[in-house]
Amino acid sequence: MSELKKTVCPLCLNGCRVGIAYDGYQYQLEYLTEVEPNFGRLCPRGNSANIILDHPKRLCYPLLDGKEITWQKAFELISEWRSQCSAPEIAVVYSRGLQDEEIKIVHGLAAALETENLACGYIEPNNYFCYQLEGVKQAKLDDLSGSRATLLVGDVFSTSPVAAKPILEARYADKTSRLIVIDSIKTKQAGFAHLFIQVRPGTEYLALMAIAGILDPKLKINIDDCTERSGIQRPAIEQAAQILKNSPRGFVGAAAFLGRVWNPLFHNLCAQLVALKANKPFTGFTEALVPDGKICFGRLKEELAQGKIKMIFWFGGLFPYSYPEVLPEMSNVRFRVATSIFRPSTTLPGLVLPVPSEYEKSGRAETSWAEVKREPLARPVSGTKHINEIAEKVAGKKIEPLTFTQRQPVKVAELIQMAGESTIPPLDGNGWLLMGEKQAIGVGGFFDPEDTIAINPADAQKLGVTDGAWVTAKSRTSEKRFQANLTTAVPPGAMTVGVNNHANRALFSVEVDEKTGIVTIPPTKVDIWQAQA
Amino acid sequence: MASTGIKKSQKRLFIRLDYCIGCRACEAACRSRFKGEARLCHAEINETALIPLSCRHCEEPLCVAACPFNVIQKDEERGIVVKSVLHCVGCKSCVLACPFGVLDKELLRRMAQKCSLCYDRSAGPRCAATCPTGALQFIDEQELQEQMVGKRVAARVPFWRRV
Repeated sequence: MSELKKTVCPLCLNGCRVGIAYDGYQYQLEYLTEVEPNFGRLCPRGNSANIILDHPKRLCYPLLDGKEITWQKAFELISEWRSQCSAPEIAVVYSRGLQDEEIKIVHGLAAALETENLACGYIEPNNYFCYQLEGVKQAKLDDLSGSRATLLVGDVFSTSPVAAKPILEARYADKTSRLIVIDSIKTKQAGFAHLFIQVRPGTEYLALMAIAGILDPKLKINIDDCTERSGIQRPAIEQAAQILKNSPRGFVGAAAFLGRVWNPLFHNLCAQLVALKANKPFTGFTEALVPDGKICFGRLKEELAQGKIKMIFWFGGLFPYSYPEVLPEMSNVRFRVATSIFRPSTTLPGLVLPVPSEYEKSGRAETSWAEVKREPLARPVSGTKHINEIAEKVAGKKIEPLTFTQRQPVKVAELIQMAGESTIPPLDGNGWLLMGEKQAIGVGGFFDPEDTIAINPADAQKLGVTDGAWVTAKSRTSEKRFQANLTTAVPPGAMTVGVNNHANRALFSVEVDEKTGIVTIPPTKVDIWQAQA
Repeated sequence: MASTGIKKSQKRLFIRLDYCIGCRACEAACRSRFKGEARLCHAEINETALIPLSCRHCEEPLCVAACPFNVIQKDEERGIVVKSVLHCVGCKSCVLACPFGVLDKELLRRMAQKCSLCYDRSAGPRCAATCPTGALQFIDEQELQEQMVGKRVAARVPFWRRV
């Protein structure tokens, strides 16, 4: 067995410590039982660290339209493409999977290319936890285990299973401990709740607004309107407010993921508003926080739709959104350059360049609980190049790293005004509502089929579908076959699918909220019918 | 208090149902060690409870009796039931014989998969080491009895959890 190498898991902001040793045949995980915050425990994603390192689908050479080419040819092509575009026609986008130092280099590259089209392409709802409400206290690890009134919004246990331990310990600590869960689906987490408030899909923020309105009547929130729109009973939120108000120690945690919330910004800020008014600390459970670029993604999407962008650079590791089926506007872009650690499961038009995974890079990062330094667990896979090197070759000169700006805290009055004006699309009408479900398992999730769809038995009866039958789901953007799983966990009229798989993600569309400019991937309308065996 | 029937010194996997969140980290740890093979499976009890199931390493294992090629053996010293991966022909006799249904009927690499309690690892099975909430534990009879004290009061419902 080789020397044990230790690092901080980069797959979410819990900052779990993980060790890896090479046994001469394969990488083996080691559970570091002595170190905070996880004491050796790892979630399913953390357990995939060694799989990512020597995954058979790791990308080891540049691809042009799905075919292998050399790095030299790739750089020649980039240079040729660049010469055909003016600076405003070039866009630079970065996603998750980059260290802070690399993001600074990407900012530097945009400056070197003299383009203002620099955007953050990590548009997953959990990235909105970057925004903070003025005056809200950030929760510490002790707050989780010491809490006697815990409010969880969304499926925190699936987002961060390791954080479930202190939360459950607090839940069982004494008879007065209370766990409140607000969600649109009866998740496994909801099964642990003393009070489970099941809202209409995507309307968690309205329930939170109502709780905040009860906690602080000065906010003048129309509580009845909020409860009606979110489909809940007023006594339930009064009880939740009472629990939070009466407990000396508590905390509010929130999670959000693709296809689950209408407006991720409100989802996050309203959870913080409840924390503020209940005088409790807050934590957003998120996979990554990627800072803004010079323009917001909504604006970039507009420019893409208008055909103003001819060439795009998409820097990321795990999840290039440059897949045309997810973002149809991408088909207007003539020259595409994306980075990836895996070989894409479908042929991507343009160039795909192999880069090292987060486990093969060093750098400083912030987790939910501390600032950490990451050490590489292994040497980068043969054939990959660091983003710094790629950026310098693209620019043809040394890049000056540029610091990025952090988001400004949002004021309570701004939030109340924005949320008050918000609208949610009507949930009735034809078709069914498809929602996303983050299944914690997701080992190398992009290649798991995730081909089951959760359907309420009442809906299944209307559709004439039995448990285990194959159905086809068709949305505005895509279509896929699923095996039906009949369960009362999902409310009538709604269905859920896992959202680690790319084909499942393609069923959802990227939307821009007209009033707030927020980019979101909300639940989507689908047609469902029984597929032929 | 009822005994579980295992020797005091022998450690076994136990699950604290009130802490299992159904995240399947145990399965992921198993897959990560055995190159994609999961040697435990999961059962959905209801929409909010999904619990892991793995080999009980029975005192009188029926899978050993059922195996036509003596691929599965009882290791009396360590008290575990082990299977030779090299000689399994994938006939599924063990799968049919298992009274707890913990052997997955889906063959992987044309073989039935069976938990070996990670006997190659001195610190115990990886699934217990990784369990995010500490629900899955690798403990002996005495440790189990210590943990069970006080739990019975809460055990009026089918599960200890959620009371």
